[in-house]
Amino acid sequence: MADFDTQVPVTVLTGYLGAGKTTLLNRILTENHGRKYAVVINEFGELGVDNDLVVDSDEEVFEMNNGCICCTVRGDLIRIVGGLMKRRDKFDGIIIETTGLANPAPVAQTFFVDDTVKAKTRLDAIVTVVDAKHLPARLADSHEAADQIAFADVIVLNKTDLVTPEELNAVEATIRGINRFAVIHRTQRASLPIEQVLDRGAFDLSRILAMHPDFLDGDDDHEHNEDISSMSFEVEKPIDPEKFNAWIGVLLQDKGADLLRTKGILYYANEDRRFAFQAVHMIADGDFIGPAKDGDPRTSRLVFIGRNLNRPQLRRGFEGCAAD
Amino acid sequence: MSRGMSRELDAFVVAVRFSRDGRHAGFALGDGTVRLATVGSAGEWITAAVHDGSVLDFAPDPTGDGFISAGDDGKLNRIGADGSVSGVGNFGSKWVEHVATYALDKGKGLIAASAGKVVRLYDQAGQVLKDLVHPSTVTGLAFDGKGKRIGASHYNGASLWFVAAKTDTPRKLEWKGSHTGIAIHPEGEAVVTAMQENALHGWKLPNGEHMRMSGYPAKTVSLSFTRNGKWMASSGADAMVLWPFFGGGPMGKAPLELAGGDGIICNQVASNPRDEIVAGGFADGLVVVADIGSSRILPVVPPDHGPISALAWSADGTQLAIGTETGYAAIVDFAKR
Repeated sequence: MADFDTQVPVTVLTGYLGAGKTTLLNRILTENHGRKYAVVINEFGELGVDNDLVVDSDEEVFEMNNGCICCTVRGDLIRIVGGLMKRRDKFDGIIIETTGLANPAPVAQTFFVDDTVKAKTRLDAIVTVVDAKHLPARLADSHEAADQIAFADVIVLNKTDLVTPEELNAVEATIRGINRFAVIHRTQRASLPIEQVLDRGAFDLSRILAMHPDFLDGDDDHEHNEDISSMSFEVEKPIDPEKFNAWIGVLLQDKGADLLRTKGILYYANEDRRFAFQAVHMIADGDFIGPAKDGDPRTSRLVFIGRNLNRPQLRRGFEGCAAD
Repeated sequence: MSRGMSRELDAFVVAVRFSRDGRHAGFALGDGTVRLATVGSAGEWITAAVHDGSVLDFAPDPTGDGFISAGDDGKLNRIGADGSVSGVGNFGSKWVEHVATYALDKGKGLIAASAGKVVRLYDQAGQVLKDLVHPSTVTGLAFDGKGKRIGASHYNGASLWFVAAKTDTPRKLEWKGSHTGIAIHPEGEAVVTAMQENALHGWKLPNGEHMRMSGYPAKTVSLSFTRNGKWMASSGADAMVLWPFFGGGPMGKAPLELAGGDGIICNQVASNPRDEIVAGGFADGLVVVADIGSSRILPVVPPDHGPISALAWSADGTQLAIGTETGYAAIVDFAKR
């Protein structure tokens, strides 16, 4: 496995046209945070910032010939990451802006599938900007809007000044119905501290999984509005890595098309370090991260975001991974 | 190292080429500079600041004594042997990802550069001859052995264009998937592409019969036919993998594997333009030269200077230039004395 510290963090910025993606990007690029980002964009004209590390790219999605039906990747990103690595010392991270209608899966999968990209970079977070006023309409007329929320680690709920407090709460509940695990930031003009968006790393994953037990055990009341839902499961006994790999492998193969994102922190038997697992559709990856803090419960957690999730089946499967 | 010279250049060596007259080697770097060395001279290397960004590809000037470089600043530039820089083309905000050149007779030549889906063809003076438009981004460029055709790899195959055609319709070589690089057999008998899925695909010419060469543990980034096209060397395995393009090969034939066995991936290969000799550069920094006939291996550079990222022979086959990801550059002299 490649070393976490030497890999370039990559932030994927998604969101519908007009949600405030470009505003957020401009903020990131102009604020004085002392870090330099290479930015991959599609519509060069929109960005009014003079950044010598802006890369103009056409989104080119192709299917891998590896027998995995939903395995699509962004070929342009593979080339761009390769090119940027030739001047690795010139930037601290990469930000990829997707077009408004983009399905985030190919972007995310690119960081799991290509060996070179995987070795040199790590997907830090998927940040989705949504427009508080227009989100309900977007969700009604396209499935990409829901997918973008489902994929998000961080959601910037923007333009909160254009809705009433009641509308805002309703739209946040809708988002939670799709993705209970993303961190939501309410903003106006996409204004928020940059560190809430960039360089989140495994930090978010462990934090969300560890600090929101109420979400993990909540009921499924929110799930009725959208076909996408999110569920989480816990196992207190140590996990047997072989059992887990066998189970998750079959699960992703069978249900991968419906499983948008799968994330987890696992405590293996006889292993101090935690294992961070994540998958996008059928493609999975994992890495050992540091040990838990002393006194923290060694509870393994797994989160699924997707369609047609079968709670009892997933629970039984995960519980079956406990070491004997 | 027996004879030669080396420098630490402190930036990723993207490509290295010898000038057409063989007197200079140019090392194109990730910091946007090109370093020019005079072959056989212990003198200072010239630094030319060529791109505001990184050099992405690099080729000899088809008629002059210098080089042509493509950069991620959208520029296609010409570098003289004295380090002078002049513009050939400007592609705006697009990266110029590939450049290939070909020297024709009577002081004429061709320059081809790709940015996105477009390959722009220039004459030796930098006059635009034509734009060749592809269905998706061009990932590799190569002229055939006579400079009559140019091939471009892209998604779902490759396109082969006649340079001098009045109407531009390419021969389409189709195979589903992402093709990431291209080589053309020197006698025009085949086109081979590298693919995303750690395999090569080929088309026999003229009939277009498919060839598939697989089994690589890593992506192939470097393809190099030997002088007569008898063998094609490739990177992407823990050895130099040479496919036989004779006796009915490569289909149904096992490739020759040279300098393998230690599990280190071969990053770069370069076939000698005169003899049946191939140089290979590995991920641990080792460079070897192998005699194909006898499979005899000569280590040239020890694994001390970072992963090999560039290799090139001079046209007379006596000099081997080497570059690494960490900025080590060397020219090794194999001339008999």
